[in-house]
Amino acid sequence: MPHDNDMNDLALIQNFLKDRVASASVDKIVPDATLTELGIDSLMLVELIFEFEDKTGITVPSDIPLPNTVGELLQQLKDIRSQQATK
Amino acid sequence: MKKRRVAITGLGLINPYGEGDVEDFFARIMRGESAVRYHTLSNSPRPLALPLVACSHFNPIAVLGPPLANAMDRFSHFAVASALSAWQDSGLAKHSNRDDYGVSWGTGSGGSLTIERGYQTLYFENKEKVSPLSIVLAMNNSAASHIAMQLGLGGPCITSTVACASSSVAIGEAFRRIREGAVNLMLVGGSEAPLSYGVIRAWQAMRVLSEGDATTAYRACRPFSANRAGLTLAEGGAALVIEDWEHALARNARIYAEIAGYGNTCDRTHIARPDSGGQARAIAAALADSGLHPHEIDYVNAHDTSTVEGDAIEIQSIKTVFGEHAGKLAVSATKSMHGHSLGAASAIEALITTLALYHQAIPPTANVTEIGADCAGVDHVLIKGRSNVPVRAALSNSFAFGGSNAVLAFRSVTSS
Repeated sequence: MPHDNDMNDLALIQNFLKDRVASASVDKIVPDATLTELGIDSLMLVELIFEFEDKTGITVPSDIPLPNTVGELLQQLKDIRSQQATK
Repeated sequence: MKKRRVAITGLGLINPYGEGDVEDFFARIMRGESAVRYHTLSNSPRPLALPLVACSHFNPIAVLGPPLANAMDRFSHFAVASALSAWQDSGLAKHSNRDDYGVSWGTGSGGSLTIERGYQTLYFENKEKVSPLSIVLAMNNSAASHIAMQLGLGGPCITSTVACASSSVAIGEAFRRIREGAVNLMLVGGSEAPLSYGVIRAWQAMRVLSEGDATTAYRACRPFSANRAGLTLAEGGAALVIEDWEHALARNARIYAEIAGYGNTCDRTHIARPDSGGQARAIAAALADSGLHPHEIDYVNAHDTSTVEGDAIEIQSIKTVFGEHAGKLAVSATKSMHGHSLGAASAIEALITTLALYHQAIPPTANVTEIGADCAGVDHVLIKGRSNVPVRAALSNSFAFGGSNAVLAFRSVTSS
Protein backbone atom coordinates (compact mmCIF):
# COMPACT_ATOMS: atom_id res chain seq x y z
CA MET A 1 0.00 0.00 0.00
CA PRO A 2 1.46 3.43 -0.97
CA HIS A 3 2.81 5.57 1.86
CA ASP A 4 1.04 8.87 2.60
CA ASN A 5 4.10 10.81 1.40
CA ASP A 6 3.97 9.00 -1.97
CA MET A 7 0.31 9.95 -2.39
CA ASN A 8 1.09 13.53 -1.38
CA ASP A 9 3.93 13.71 -3.90
CA LEU A 10 1.68 12.43 -6.69
CA ALA A 11 -1.01 14.94 -5.72
CA LEU A 12 1.59 17.72 -5.73
CA ILE A 13 2.71 16.73 -9.24
CA GLN A 14 -0.88 16.51 -10.46
CA ASN A 15 -1.79 19.84 -8.96
CA PHE A 16 1.29 21.50 -10.44
CA LEU A 17 0.79 20.13 -13.94
CA LYS A 18 -2.91 20.84 -14.32
CA ASP A 19 -2.10 24.58 -14.35
CA ARG A 20 0.81 24.25 -16.75
CA VAL A 21 0.12 21.59 -19.34
CA ALA A 22 -3.10 21.95 -21.30
CA SER A 23 -3.38 18.26 -22.18
CA ALA A 24 -2.38 16.91 -18.73
CA SER A 25 -5.69 16.03 -17.16
CA VAL A 26 -5.29 14.56 -13.69
CA ASP A 27 -6.28 11.04 -14.77
CA LYS A 28 -3.33 11.00 -17.24
CA ILE A 29 -0.78 11.89 -14.54
CA VAL A 30 -0.13 8.38 -13.30
CA PRO A 31 3.14 6.60 -12.41
CA ASP A 32 3.42 4.90 -15.83
CA ALA A 33 3.04 8.16 -17.78
CA THR A 34 6.23 9.45 -19.39
CA LEU A 35 7.22 13.07 -18.85
CA THR A 36 7.49 13.49 -22.63
CA GLU A 37 3.92 12.41 -23.28
CA LEU A 38 2.71 14.73 -20.54
CA GLY A 39 4.53 17.63 -22.18
CA ILE A 40 6.96 18.22 -19.32
CA ASP A 41 10.19 19.81 -20.53
CA SER A 42 13.40 20.28 -18.54
CA LEU A 43 12.46 23.81 -17.37
CA MET A 44 9.10 22.62 -16.16
CA LEU A 45 10.75 19.77 -14.28
CA VAL A 46 12.98 22.26 -12.46
CA GLU A 47 9.88 24.33 -11.60
CA LEU A 48 8.22 21.18 -10.28
CA ILE A 49 11.26 20.30 -8.16
CA PHE A 50 11.34 23.85 -6.74
CA GLU A 51 7.64 23.50 -5.91
CA PHE A 52 8.39 20.21 -4.13
CA GLU A 53 11.19 21.84 -2.15
CA ASP A 54 9.00 24.79 -1.13
CA LYS A 55 6.12 22.57 -0.09
CA THR A 56 8.14 19.94 1.79
CA GLY A 57 11.24 21.77 2.98
CA ILE A 58 13.33 18.98 1.44
CA THR A 59 16.30 19.95 -0.75
CA VAL A 60 16.61 18.08 -4.03
CA PRO A 61 20.22 17.76 -5.28
CA SER A 62 20.78 19.55 -8.60
CA ASP A 63 22.51 16.53 -10.11
CA ILE A 64 19.68 13.99 -9.90
CA PRO A 65 19.29 12.05 -13.17
CA LEU A 66 16.40 13.06 -15.43
CA PRO A 67 13.47 10.71 -14.82
CA ASN A 68 11.57 9.21 -17.75
CA THR A 69 8.27 8.59 -16.02
CA VAL A 70 6.17 10.02 -13.21
CA GLY A 71 6.88 6.79 -11.31
CA GLU A 72 10.65 7.29 -11.59
CA LEU A 73 10.26 10.88 -10.37
CA LEU A 74 8.18 9.70 -7.42
CA GLN A 75 10.82 7.10 -6.56
CA GLN A 76 13.58 9.74 -6.70
CA LEU A 77 11.63 12.03 -4.38
CA LYS A 78 10.97 9.10 -2.04
CA ASP A 79 14.69 8.20 -1.96
CA ILE A 80 15.71 11.81 -1.26
CA ARG A 81 13.10 12.04 1.48
CA SER A 82 14.38 8.89 3.19
CA GLN A 83 18.06 9.90 2.81
CA GLN A 84 17.43 13.27 4.42
CA ALA A 85 15.32 11.68 7.19
CA THR A 86 18.27 9.46 8.20
CA LYS A 87 20.76 12.35 8.35
CA MET B 1 11.10 47.77 -58.71
CA LYS B 2 7.55 48.76 -57.87
CA LYS B 3 6.99 48.98 -54.13
CA ARG B 4 4.10 47.00 -52.72
CA ARG B 5 1.31 48.67 -50.75
CA VAL B 6 0.60 47.64 -47.15
CA ALA B 7 -2.93 47.13 -45.82
CA ILE B 8 -4.11 47.07 -42.20
CA THR B 9 -6.60 44.22 -41.90
CA GLY B 10 -6.89 43.32 -38.22
CA LEU B 11 -7.04 45.21 -34.92
CA GLY B 12 -6.96 44.06 -31.31
CA LEU B 13 -6.15 45.55 -27.92
CA ILE B 14 -6.41 45.20 -24.19
CA ASN B 15 -9.24 47.65 -23.67
CA PRO B 16 -8.35 49.83 -20.65
CA TYR B 17 -12.03 50.67 -20.15
CA GLY B 18 -13.17 47.08 -19.64
CA GLU B 19 -14.33 44.12 -21.67
CA GLY B 20 -15.37 45.91 -24.86
CA ASP B 21 -13.82 45.42 -28.30
CA VAL B 22 -11.80 47.91 -30.38
CA GLU B 23 -14.96 49.68 -31.55
CA ASP B 24 -16.08 50.16 -27.94
CA PHE B 25 -12.61 51.52 -27.16
CA PHE B 26 -12.70 53.94 -30.10
CA ALA B 27 -16.22 55.13 -29.25
CA ARG B 28 -15.06 55.99 -25.72
CA ILE B 29 -11.98 57.75 -27.07
CA MET B 30 -14.22 59.80 -29.41
CA ARG B 31 -16.37 60.80 -26.44
CA GLY B 32 -13.31 62.01 -24.56
CA GLU B 33 -13.64 59.47 -21.73
CA SER B 34 -10.57 59.11 -19.56
CA ALA B 35 -9.51 55.63 -18.42
CA VAL B 36 -7.25 57.15 -15.76
CA ARG B 37 -8.14 56.26 -12.19
CA TYR B 38 -6.56 56.77 -8.77
CA HIS B 39 -4.93 53.42 -8.02
CA THR B 40 -3.39 52.09 -4.86
CA LEU B 41 -0.57 49.76 -5.78
CA SER B 42 -0.74 46.31 -4.21
CA ASN B 43 2.33 44.41 -2.99
CA SER B 44 4.35 47.55 -2.41
CA PRO B 45 6.62 47.93 0.64
CA ARG B 46 5.24 51.43 1.31
CA PRO B 47 1.81 52.82 0.48
CA LEU B 48 1.72 54.16 -3.06
CA ALA B 49 -1.32 55.62 -4.79
CA LEU B 50 -1.40 57.78 -7.92
CA PRO B 51 -3.30 58.33 -11.18
CA LEU B 52 -2.73 55.35 -13.48
CA VAL B 53 -4.37 53.37 -16.24
CA ALA B 54 -4.45 49.78 -15.01
CA CYS B 55 -6.14 46.99 -16.95
CA SER B 56 -7.48 45.52 -13.70
CA HIS B 57 -10.35 43.71 -15.41
CA PHE B 58 -7.98 41.71 -17.61
CA ASN B 59 -7.74 38.14 -16.34
CA PRO B 60 -4.96 36.26 -18.17
CA ILE B 61 -6.00 32.88 -16.74
CA ALA B 62 -9.52 33.31 -18.12
CA VAL B 63 -8.39 34.69 -21.49
CA LEU B 64 -5.38 32.46 -22.20
CA GLY B 65 -5.88 29.42 -19.96
CA PRO B 66 -3.63 28.41 -17.04
CA PRO B 67 -0.84 26.62 -18.94
CA LEU B 68 -0.16 29.55 -21.27
CA ALA B 69 -0.75 32.27 -18.67
CA ASN B 70 1.60 30.61 -16.16
CA ALA B 71 4.38 30.51 -18.77
CA MET B 72 4.37 34.27 -19.41
CA ASP B 73 5.04 37.66 -17.83
CA ARG B 74 2.17 40.17 -17.81
CA PHE B 75 3.57 42.07 -20.81
CA SER B 76 3.35 38.83 -22.80
CA HIS B 77 -0.21 38.26 -21.55
CA PHE B 78 -1.14 41.62 -23.07
CA ALA B 79 0.78 40.76 -26.24
CA VAL B 80 -0.75 37.36 -26.92
CA ALA B 81 -4.28 38.39 -25.94
CA SER B 82 -4.25 41.46 -28.20
CA ALA B 83 -2.57 39.50 -31.01
CA LEU B 84 -5.18 36.73 -30.88
CA SER B 85 -7.89 39.37 -30.99
CA ALA B 86 -6.35 41.15 -34.01
CA TRP B 87 -5.82 37.83 -35.76
CA GLN B 88 -9.45 36.85 -35.29
CA ASP B 89 -10.52 40.30 -36.50
CA SER B 90 -8.47 39.84 -39.67
CA GLY B 91 -10.34 36.65 -40.62
CA LEU B 92 -7.15 34.59 -40.97
CA ALA B 93 -7.01 30.86 -40.17
CA LYS B 94 -6.40 30.25 -36.47
CA HIS B 95 -2.97 28.64 -36.84
CA SER B 96 -1.37 29.65 -40.11
CA ASN B 97 1.89 27.64 -40.33
CA ARG B 98 3.23 30.20 -42.80
CA ASP B 99 6.89 31.06 -43.19
CA ASP B 100 6.08 34.21 -45.17
CA TYR B 101 4.23 35.62 -42.14
CA GLY B 102 6.10 37.14 -39.18
CA VAL B 103 5.94 39.13 -35.96
CA SER B 104 7.32 42.55 -35.12
CA TRP B 105 6.66 43.59 -31.53
CA GLY B 106 7.57 46.57 -29.38
CA THR B 107 8.22 46.78 -25.67
CA GLY B 108 10.21 49.23 -23.60
CA SER B 109 11.14 47.09 -20.64
CA GLY B 110 9.73 43.60 -21.35
CA GLY B 111 9.30 41.42 -18.29
CA SER B 112 10.24 43.97 -15.66
CA LEU B 113 7.62 42.55 -13.27
CA THR B 114 9.37 39.17 -13.38
CA ILE B 115 12.73 40.81 -12.70
CA GLU B 116 11.31 42.79 -9.78
CA ARG B 117 9.68 39.65 -8.37
CA GLY B 118 13.04 37.86 -8.60
CA TYR B 119 14.78 40.64 -6.67
CA GLN B 120 12.11 40.46 -3.96
CA THR B 121 12.66 36.71 -3.66
CA LEU B 122 16.42 37.02 -3.39
CA TYR B 123 16.90 40.22 -1.40
CA PHE B 124 13.83 40.43 0.84
CA GLU B 125 12.65 36.84 1.25
CA ASN B 126 16.28 35.75 1.53
CA LYS B 127 15.77 32.71 -0.70
CA GLU B 128 18.59 31.21 -2.72
CA LYS B 129 16.68 30.53 -5.91
CA VAL B 130 14.26 32.22 -8.28
CA SER B 131 11.83 30.65 -10.75
CA PRO B 132 13.64 28.65 -13.44
CA LEU B 133 11.39 30.47 -15.90
CA SER B 134 12.75 33.90 -14.87
CA ILE B 135 14.88 34.39 -17.97
CA VAL B 136 12.30 33.24 -20.51
CA LEU B 137 9.55 35.25 -18.82
CA ALA B 138 11.58 38.43 -18.56
CA MET B 139 13.40 38.58 -21.90
CA ASN B 140 12.05 41.30 -24.17
CA ASN B 141 11.52 39.00 -27.15
CA SER B 142 9.38 36.48 -25.26
CA ALA B 143 6.14 38.26 -26.26
CA ALA B 144 6.96 38.08 -29.97
CA SER B 145 7.97 34.42 -29.67
CA HIS B 146 4.77 33.48 -27.86
CA ILE B 147 2.74 35.24 -30.56
CA ALA B 148 4.65 33.35 -33.28
CA MET B 149 4.02 30.05 -31.51
CA GLN B 150 0.33 30.71 -30.98
CA LEU B 151 -0.35 31.82 -34.55
CA GLY B 152 2.17 29.66 -36.44
CA LEU B 153 4.23 32.52 -37.85
CA GLY B 154 7.54 31.18 -39.18
CA GLY B 155 8.98 34.33 -40.77
CA PRO B 156 10.91 37.11 -39.04
CA CYS B 157 10.33 37.38 -35.28
CA ILE B 158 11.60 40.82 -34.28
CA THR B 159 11.46 42.83 -31.06
CA SER B 160 12.07 46.58 -30.97
CA THR B 161 13.06 48.24 -27.70
CA VAL B 162 13.12 51.97 -28.36
CA ALA B 163 11.52 53.33 -25.17
CA CYS B 164 8.26 55.13 -26.01
CA ALA B 165 8.70 54.65 -29.76
CA SER B 166 9.12 50.86 -29.49
CA SER B 167 5.84 49.94 -31.15
CA SER B 168 5.97 52.48 -33.95
CA VAL B 169 9.46 51.28 -34.81
CA ALA B 170 8.15 47.68 -34.71
CA ILE B 171 5.30 48.62 -37.06
CA GLY B 172 7.49 50.72 -39.34
CA GLU B 173 10.20 48.10 -39.74
CA ALA B 174 7.56 45.43 -40.49
CA PHE B 175 5.89 47.79 -43.00
CA ARG B 176 9.18 48.10 -44.86
CA ARG B 177 9.68 44.33 -45.01
CA ILE B 178 6.24 43.82 -46.52
CA ARG B 179 6.64 46.72 -48.93
CA GLU B 180 9.96 45.36 -50.15
CA GLY B 181 8.53 41.88 -50.65
CA ALA B 182 10.51 40.03 -47.96
CA VAL B 183 7.31 38.84 -46.26
CA ASN B 184 3.60 38.94 -47.06
CA LEU B 185 2.08 39.56 -43.64
CA MET B 186 3.20 40.66 -40.17
CA LEU B 187 1.50 40.69 -36.79
CA VAL B 188 2.69 43.97 -35.26
CA GLY B 189 2.13 46.03 -32.14
CA GLY B 190 3.43 46.38 -28.63
CA SER B 191 2.81 45.77 -24.95
CA GLU B 192 4.03 47.01 -21.60
CA ALA B 193 3.44 46.07 -17.95
CA PRO B 194 5.24 48.78 -15.98
CA LEU B 195 3.00 49.17 -12.95
CA SER B 196 5.39 47.85 -10.31
CA TYR B 197 6.67 49.68 -7.24
CA GLY B 198 10.24 49.93 -8.52
CA VAL B 199 9.32 51.16 -12.00
CA ILE B 200 6.85 53.77 -10.72
CA ARG B 201 9.36 55.05 -8.17
CA ALA B 202 11.91 55.41 -10.97
CA TRP B 203 9.47 57.49 -13.03
CA GLN B 204 8.58 59.57 -9.99
CA ALA B 205 12.26 60.28 -9.47
CA MET B 206 12.37 61.89 -12.92
CA ARG B 207 9.60 64.25 -11.74
CA VAL B 208 7.50 63.69 -14.84
CA LEU B 209 4.42 61.96 -13.35
CA SER B 210 1.19 63.87 -12.89
CA GLU B 211 -0.08 64.04 -9.32
CA GLY B 212 -3.72 63.64 -8.36
CA ASP B 213 -6.22 62.13 -5.98
CA ALA B 214 -9.44 60.16 -6.22
CA THR B 215 -11.40 63.18 -7.43
CA THR B 216 -8.86 64.63 -9.87
CA ALA B 217 -7.18 61.51 -11.27
CA TYR B 218 -9.60 61.37 -14.21
CA ARG B 219 -8.13 64.65 -15.52
CA ALA B 220 -4.51 63.99 -14.52
CA CYS B 221 -3.24 63.86 -18.10
CA ARG B 222 -3.79 67.19 -19.92
CA PRO B 223 -1.53 67.46 -23.00
CA PHE B 224 -1.13 70.97 -24.47
CA SER B 225 -2.99 72.46 -21.51
CA ALA B 226 -1.81 75.67 -19.89
CA ASN B 227 -1.80 73.77 -16.59
CA ARG B 228 -0.39 70.44 -17.81
CA ALA B 229 1.61 68.77 -15.08
CA GLY B 230 3.10 65.51 -16.21
CA LEU B 231 2.35 62.14 -17.76
CA THR B 232 0.18 59.28 -16.52
CA LEU B 233 1.64 55.78 -16.59
CA ALA B 234 -0.43 52.98 -18.09
CA GLU B 235 -0.20 49.28 -18.86
CA GLY B 236 -1.64 47.55 -21.90
CA GLY B 237 -1.11 46.33 -25.41
CA ALA B 238 -2.40 46.60 -28.96
CA ALA B 239 -1.89 44.56 -32.11
CA LEU B 240 -2.44 45.09 -35.83
CA VAL B 241 -2.36 42.67 -38.74
CA ILE B 242 -0.63 44.30 -41.69
CA GLU B 243 -0.15 42.66 -45.07
CA ASP B 244 0.64 43.10 -48.75
CA TRP B 245 -2.32 44.89 -50.37
CA GLU B 246 -2.76 42.25 -53.11
CA HIS B 247 -2.55 39.49 -50.52
CA ALA B 248 -5.37 41.17 -48.59
CA LEU B 249 -7.50 41.58 -51.72
CA ALA B 250 -6.93 37.97 -52.73
CA ARG B 251 -8.38 36.70 -49.48
CA ASN B 252 -11.17 39.29 -49.54
CA ALA B 253 -10.04 40.85 -46.26
CA ARG B 254 -11.52 44.00 -44.79
CA ILE B 255 -8.96 46.80 -45.19
CA TYR B 256 -9.14 49.42 -42.46
CA ALA B 257 -6.49 51.72 -43.89
CA GLU B 258 -3.12 51.75 -45.60
CA ILE B 259 0.26 52.27 -43.97
CA ALA B 260 1.85 54.63 -46.45
CA GLY B 261 5.14 55.72 -44.93
CA TYR B 262 7.60 55.60 -42.05
CA GLY B 263 10.18 58.05 -40.83
CA ASN B 264 12.85 57.23 -38.24
CA THR B 265 15.48 59.65 -36.94
CA CYS B 266 17.61 60.35 -33.89
CA ASP B 267 17.95 63.78 -32.25
CA ARG B 268 21.60 62.96 -31.50
CA THR B 269 21.56 65.66 -28.81
CA HIS B 270 20.33 64.51 -25.37
CA ILE B 271 19.27 61.24 -23.71
CA ALA B 272 15.99 62.66 -22.34
CA ARG B 273 15.34 66.20 -23.60
CA PRO B 274 13.53 66.08 -26.97
CA ASP B 275 14.81 68.13 -29.89
CA SER B 276 12.49 69.74 -32.39
CA GLY B 277 14.96 69.38 -35.23
CA GLY B 278 15.13 65.61 -34.92
CA GLN B 279 11.36 65.33 -34.60
CA ALA B 280 10.74 67.51 -37.65
CA ARG B 281 13.15 65.39 -39.68
CA ALA B 282 11.18 62.26 -38.71
CA ILE B 283 7.85 63.84 -39.71
CA ALA B 284 9.31 65.03 -43.02
CA ALA B 285 10.85 61.60 -43.62
CA ALA B 286 7.50 59.86 -43.10
CA LEU B 287 5.81 62.28 -45.52
CA ALA B 288 8.52 61.80 -48.13
CA ASP B 289 8.41 58.03 -47.73
CA SER B 290 4.64 58.00 -48.20
CA GLY B 291 4.54 60.37 -51.14
CA LEU B 292 1.86 62.34 -49.30
CA HIS B 293 1.83 66.12 -49.57
CA PRO B 294 1.56 67.96 -46.22
CA HIS B 295 -1.79 69.40 -47.37
CA GLU B 296 -3.19 65.87 -47.63
CA ILE B 297 -2.67 65.23 -43.91
CA ASP B 298 -5.93 65.90 -42.09
CA TYR B 299 -5.00 64.56 -38.65
CA VAL B 300 -1.93 64.08 -36.46
CA ASN B 301 -2.08 61.79 -33.45
CA ALA B 302 0.57 63.52 -31.39
CA HIS B 303 3.02 61.85 -29.09
CA ASP B 304 2.46 64.50 -26.44
CA THR B 305 2.42 63.05 -22.95
CA SER B 306 1.44 66.16 -20.95
CA THR B 307 4.90 67.26 -19.90
CA VAL B 308 5.65 70.98 -19.80
CA GLU B 309 8.66 70.80 -22.06
CA GLY B 310 7.84 67.93 -24.41
CA ASP B 311 4.41 69.10 -25.56
CA ALA B 312 5.62 72.52 -26.70
CA ILE B 313 8.57 71.01 -28.58
CA GLU B 314 6.31 68.64 -30.55
CA ILE B 315 3.97 71.47 -31.58
CA GLN B 316 7.03 73.41 -32.77
CA SER B 317 8.12 70.38 -34.80
CA ILE B 318 4.70 70.11 -36.45
CA LYS B 319 4.70 73.81 -37.30
CA THR B 320 8.20 73.54 -38.76
CA VAL B 321 7.15 70.83 -41.21
CA PHE B 322 3.62 71.96 -42.05
CA GLY B 323 4.17 75.71 -42.16
CA GLU B 324 0.94 77.61 -42.86
CA HIS B 325 -1.06 74.37 -43.11
CA ALA B 326 -0.37 73.71 -39.40
CA GLY B 327 -3.13 76.15 -38.44
CA LYS B 328 -5.69 73.97 -40.24
CA LEU B 329 -4.16 70.66 -39.16
CA ALA B 330 -6.26 68.73 -36.63
CA VAL B 331 -4.05 67.52 -33.78
CA SER B 332 -4.89 65.54 -30.65
CA ALA B 333 -3.07 63.63 -27.94
CA THR B 334 -5.10 60.57 -26.98
CA LYS B 335 -2.78 59.74 -24.07
CA SER B 336 -5.06 62.15 -22.20
CA MET B 337 -7.45 59.16 -22.05
CA HIS B 338 -5.49 55.90 -22.41
CA GLY B 339 -2.42 57.15 -20.58
CA HIS B 340 1.19 56.49 -21.46
CA SER B 341 1.90 52.79 -21.76
CA LEU B 342 5.49 53.48 -22.85
CA GLY B 343 6.52 50.78 -25.34
CA ALA B 344 2.88 49.94 -26.06
CA ALA B 345 1.65 53.52 -26.50
CA SER B 346 2.42 53.92 -30.17
CA ALA B 347 0.68 50.64 -31.03
CA ILE B 348 -2.46 51.90 -29.28
CA GLU B 349 -2.11 55.23 -31.11
CA ALA B 350 -1.57 53.47 -34.46
CA LEU B 351 -4.79 51.56 -33.80
CA ILE B 352 -6.64 54.81 -32.97
CA THR B 353 -5.26 56.53 -36.08
CA THR B 354 -6.32 53.56 -38.20
CA LEU B 355 -9.87 53.75 -36.84
CA ALA B 356 -9.90 57.53 -37.35
CA LEU B 357 -9.26 56.91 -41.05
CA TYR B 358 -11.71 54.00 -41.21
CA HIS B 359 -14.54 55.95 -39.58
CA GLN B 360 -13.57 59.38 -40.97
CA ALA B 361 -13.49 60.76 -37.46
CA ILE B 362 -10.96 62.67 -35.39
CA PRO B 363 -10.49 61.83 -31.70
CA PRO B 364 -9.93 64.60 -29.15
CA THR B 365 -7.46 65.61 -26.50
CA ALA B 366 -9.47 65.22 -23.29
CA ASN B 367 -9.36 67.27 -20.09
CA VAL B 368 -8.15 70.50 -21.69
CA THR B 369 -10.04 73.77 -21.52
CA GLU B 370 -7.22 76.24 -22.10
CA ILE B 371 -4.36 75.58 -24.51
CA GLY B 372 -0.93 76.67 -23.30
CA ALA B 373 0.47 79.62 -25.26
CA ASP B 374 3.52 77.53 -26.14
CA CYS B 375 1.28 74.84 -27.70
CA ALA B 376 -0.85 77.11 -29.91
CA GLY B 377 -0.74 77.25 -33.70
CA VAL B 378 -2.48 74.01 -34.74
CA ASP B 379 -6.16 73.03 -34.90
CA HIS B 380 -6.53 71.41 -31.46
CA VAL B 381 -9.44 68.97 -31.22
CA LEU B 382 -10.53 69.25 -27.59
CA ILE B 383 -12.88 67.40 -25.22
CA LYS B 384 -15.05 65.64 -27.86
CA GLY B 385 -14.06 64.06 -31.16
CA ARG B 386 -15.26 65.21 -34.59
CA SER B 387 -17.36 62.69 -36.52
CA ASN B 388 -18.09 62.61 -40.24
CA VAL B 389 -15.16 64.77 -41.26
CA PRO B 390 -12.83 64.06 -44.17
CA VAL B 391 -9.66 62.28 -43.03
CA ARG B 392 -7.66 61.49 -46.18
CA ALA B 393 -4.38 60.78 -44.47
CA ALA B 394 -2.95 60.95 -40.96
CA LEU B 395 0.29 60.74 -39.01
CA SER B 396 1.08 59.09 -35.71
CA ASN B 397 4.09 60.62 -33.95
CA SER B 398 6.24 58.81 -31.39
CA PHE B 399 9.19 60.57 -29.79
CA ALA B 400 11.16 58.54 -27.28
CA PHE B 401 13.83 58.98 -24.62
CA GLY B 402 17.15 58.47 -26.28
CA GLY B 403 16.13 61.01 -28.89
CA SER B 404 14.59 58.28 -31.05
CA ASN B 405 11.79 59.52 -33.28
CA ALA B 406 9.40 57.35 -35.29
CA VAL B 407 6.50 58.64 -37.38
CA LEU B 408 3.99 56.49 -39.25
CA ALA B 409 1.93 57.83 -42.16
CA PHE B 410 -1.47 56.33 -42.91
CA ARG B 411 -3.83 56.80 -45.85
CA SER B 412 -7.58 56.11 -45.90
CA VAL B 413 -8.86 53.41 -48.23
CA THR B 414 -11.34 55.81 -49.82
CA SER B 415 -8.65 58.30 -50.82
CA SER B 416 -6.15 55.75 -52.11
